[in-house]
Amino acid sequence: MELRHQVIVIGGGPAGLNAAKYAANAGCNVALLDSAPRLGGQYWRHTGIESDDQSRHHNFDQGSLLMDAIIANPRITIYPNTTIWSASVINGEVVLRYKDGAFITSRLILATGAYDRSLPFPGWDIPGVMTAGAAQSLLKGSGVIAGKRIVVAGSGPFLLPVAAGLSSHGGKVVGLIEAAGKFAWLPEILSLLQNPAKISEGLGYLLTLRKAKVEMRFKQAVISAHADSDGLLESITVANIDAEFHITSTYSINCDVAAIGWGFTPDTSMAGALGLKEEVAADGSVVVAVDENQRASSAHSELHIFAAGEITGIGGSALSLAEGAIAGLAAADSRTNLRDLKKIRRKARRFALTLQRVYPIALGWKSWLTPETIICRCEEVTHAAIQSAFTELDADDARSAKLMTRCGMGMCQGRICSRNVADLLDSPDADRIKGVYRPIISPITLGELAQDGLL
Amino acid sequence: MITFTFNGVELTAREGQSVAAALIAHNERITRLTRAAGKPRGIFCGIGVCFDCLIIIDGQPNQRSCITEVKAGMVVAVQDGA
Ligand SMILES: Cc1cc2nc3c(=O)[nH]c(=O)nc-3n(C[C@H](O)[C@H](O)[C@H](O)COP(=O)(O)OP(=O)(O)OC[C@H]3O[C@@H](n4cnc5c(N)ncnc54)[C@H](O)[C@@H]3O)c2cc1C
Ligand code: FES
Repeated sequence: MELRHQVIVIGGGPAGLNAAKYAANAGCNVALLDSAPRLGGQYWRHTGIESDDQSRHHNFDQGSLLMDAIIANPRITIYPNTTIWSASVINGEVVLRYKDGAFITSRLILATGAYDRSLPFPGWDIPGVMTAGAAQSLLKGSGVIAGKRIVVAGSGPFLLPVAAGLSSHGGKVVGLIEAAGKFAWLPEILSLLQNPAKISEGLGYLLTLRKAKVEMRFKQAVISAHADSDGLLESITVANIDAEFHITSTYSINCDVAAIGWGFTPDTSMAGALGLKEEVAADGSVVVAVDENQRASSAHSELHIFAAGEITGIGGSALSLAEGAIAGLAAADSRTNLRDLKKIRRKARRFALTLQRVYPIALGWKSWLTPETIICRCEEVTHAAIQSAFTELDADDARSAKLMTRCGMGMCQGRICSRNVADLLDSPDADRIKGVYRPIISPITLGELAQDGLL
Repeated sequence: MITFTFNGVELTAREGQSVAAALIAHNERITRLTRAAGKPRGIFCGIGVCFDCLIIIDGQPNQRSCITEVKAGMVVAVQDGA
């Protein structure tokens, strides 16, 4: 089946929702695609059960208004449960394949978001160790508390809503472990105060944590995890760390879940497959390069391809909303004055950069690894195997190391390990961008390929 | 409430929950054993990105339990290898 739409938006999170809304309001017929069964993306993830307690969500009212408006808009067709597994340019048009056929357009808005950034450490493959976002998605999407004794750890503002959400819904959070210092925000106070809404959101979480008596510890990190005889998480080793993330002393905590997040990594796979220009952002992540109007740079100048939200740089939901609105209007060739939206975007970007300065991820995490530590979870490739491919076998870049060890060649296609491998091998920017190139965006079975007439 | 089975045992779940979440609610954390080392794995990213939570659903292996909604009568089993 071939489906044509004037504008196609991939991703139904804050960025994609606003992109669809603004493009439709400017007169376009829009398709909004998402692999999930419901709209909302990561920020407005919900169970879809009317009676459910929506206090699990910050700003859910804003989200449900936006989602309701989109569902009611006759110019927008929503395609849920629709995973795009390949994107290419054929005869001057973008062709997006999904399990039942293809979508075709010359105006595309990518809003595929981000996933938690993870750092490897001994035992991070033990069931019970998960990302902070995983604990959040279990709670928001299914109403399930991830464990009985939960440690929330890593770095960044996202740990606050995760720990606060768990503890205000009956979860026992036995510690919130933040790598940054307690007063790391102080030098940035002036620029933080530019964004009072975010600051009051943060204070709200702190208040919840205080009421629940959640202990917050700073300049510490989870550096190893230990399993019981059933292979499940039983305890973690926590280290006091210096500014470089080197270990100064350690102690242990018993817990059945360690929910760890080190910020986010954009998922730019679709941009890579379409040959759009990507670049390395200040935080070391690979992002889609965009102009003033969120337009991506393509060799096919006849195409109008835009990118919005986390894939253009990690910045949170407010930035995603602003970028989505701008992309939607630009994709519709609207003459609306974008000045106010651009002002909001500028402010949100500045705030995102400030947060990155408050919560830097130093390279000293490499010293937490042992030779046996798994780096590529899919293919079970160890730190020692990568090191030996690099030094003894003379693999002089990440790509060769990958071919020699199968690191990054498993089901997740390097989404979890490629950033860490690039750091381990001190890769230059060009290699980091090559490292996230995935011609097949989402794995597909041979049966599905056959159905599509490709086999 | 609906029921499904996990490794032959009947468990309850709420409609709209993911398979992984429904299992965790019963403290079942292992979804698969790895191909090489036979090590247990469970949910990791929670959003369909990492493929650690692969499981067998109604006879089909390699299903991501974190993004698959549980349905009444589903037959779910640990995936050994992959
Ligand atoms: C697990 C997780 C939980 C988070 N929880 C919070 C939170 O509680 N509070 C907060 O402030 N921030 C949270 N964040 C941060 C989040 O990145 C931003 O708040 C915000 O959701 C970003 O908006 P976005 O529109 O850029 O992307 P997202 O909201 O991530 O939306 C991207 C959408 O694209 C879809 N998609 C991706 N690839 C494809 C494809 N190939 N085919 C079809 N659809 C595709 C995804 O299913 C997703 O719905 C979370 C992030 C993660 C990873
Ligand atoms: S937990 Fe990562 S794909 Fe399911």
